Amino acid sequence: MKNSKMYLSTETMNLGFVRKVEALSGSSVRRCFQCGKCSAGCPMRTFMEHPPNRIVRLLQLGQWERVLAGRSIWYCASCETCSTRCPNKVDLAAIMDALRKLSWDANGPSKESYVQLANRLFIENIKTYGRQYEMRLAAVFNIKSGQFMKDFLLGPKLLTKGKLKVFHQKNRNIGEIEQIFSRIEEMRKKGEAP
Amino acid sequence: MKNVLNYSYYPGCSLHASAKEYDESTKGVFKALRIGLNEVPDWFCCGATPAHNVDELLSLSLCAKNLSLADNVEGDLAVACAACFSRLKTAQHRLTENDIKRKQVETAIAGAVSLEKPVKHLLEILAKDYGLDRLADAVKKPLNGLKVATYYGCLLTRPPDVPELDCCEAPTIMENVIAATGAEPVAWSHRLECCGANFTLSRPGVVLNLSNAILASAKRAGADCIMVACPLCHGNLDIRQKEIEEANGTRYGMPVFYMTQLLGLAVGVPAGKLGLDSMIVNPLPLLKEKGLV
Repeated sequence: MKNSKMYLSTETMNLGFVRKVEALSGSSVRRCFQCGKCSAGCPMRTFMEHPPNRIVRLLQLGQWERVLAGRSIWYCASCETCSTRCPNKVDLAAIMDALRKLSWDANGPSKESYVQLANRLFIENIKTYGRQYEMRLAAVFNIKSGQFMKDFLLGPKLLTKGKLKVFHQKNRNIGEIEQIFSRIEEMRKKGEAP
Repeated sequence: MKNVLNYSYYPGCSLHASAKEYDESTKGVFKALRIGLNEVPDWFCCGATPAHNVDELLSLSLCAKNLSLADNVEGDLAVACAACFSRLKTAQHRLTENDIKRKQVETAIAGAVSLEKPVKHLLEILAKDYGLDRLADAVKKPLNGLKVATYYGCLLTRPPDVPELDCCEAPTIMENVIAATGAEPVAWSHRLECCGANFTLSRPGVVLNLSNAILASAKRAGADCIMVACPLCHGNLDIRQKEIEEANGTRYGMPVFYMTQLLGLAVGVPAGKLGLDSMIVNPLPLLKEKGLV
């Protein structure tokens, strides 16, 4: 590979997808020059098959399908260390949000199902109750993920400490949240919102 | 007696359940310092990490809704949870900068977006609005001899332009606040590292790994206890501590306090009103040894 050079161009890049990510995230993907500071500080890199800087590289090389199909985007903790340290002001944490949304909207080509399940149940709880109902969240997660014994010993302990609220009242203004959900859905149907 | 300061208050979901001792001790400390705290009626979940992870518009809309509800209560908005604080501040920033997103959110909440009210974490209120000198003067029982590892986690300082609380890589606000009580903040390596946050539900293995490094670092630095300002950090370091010890074949026995629990002890809130019995790692042996209860 003597003297081999790699050129980024609109052909190698799939500019359409990159622009979509840039519009959703409000951050440049193209500005990254692969210094690797994001991955150096990423607490989750050991759990990812592609560390953060490689995710941006794959996007630059038009290989976005590999990114969406992998589990890395779902293993980002949103700790914001990458965005804080990037010398080129690439907001990687926002790019991760955009990629997750694209994967989520495409009905999850990723194999990482537990994180997506937890997210879905969390959002469902907001829609149903207005606030988080922690005990229900944990119980339904265990049932739906088939891990019936997960945190089996923790539950009773938290109950005796008063940390698990068994009964949870819906917000009395819950109608307002339902309307927010339905208005967003409507905007999306009309193509007025991503 | 008249209050010296008044705030509207957004506790967030955790403070009504798994972090109720944070809520209780916050109210105790603010009452002792004569700072008024009026909860915003009928607030909603801010959407936290799961909402912004997959649906930015939903996340921004939930926060904008909460900000407009907060407008009905007088005073800057006091937020206890670091995650809620981060989401509300992020929404203020994004909606100020981006007209397209603001219009979408205005359609979603069917009303104007209100971005004027300052959103403040409790730390900012205590250190800046109330003031460190006044805080030191209010101390009735100094926490002398207590070595505290002050744990910031992620969202109190990052990303740099959002929280506007302190420097993102070398903050001192937690150390300053706890030093005002006479306690000794230790220098340690992991105060800004991630604890694993909401993976505690979906992938607890992540938490067992990341939070172990934090506990080990605090122990190495000779800390008696860890102080946090976020219910997720507390859940991971306190509730999962035994599991972390078992998974890593080690023993920490490290009490993890909310900052308002330690401040409460110092400014004379009765120990029974600080929710110390809700903590999973029992803090009483330590507090007795230091003569604090």
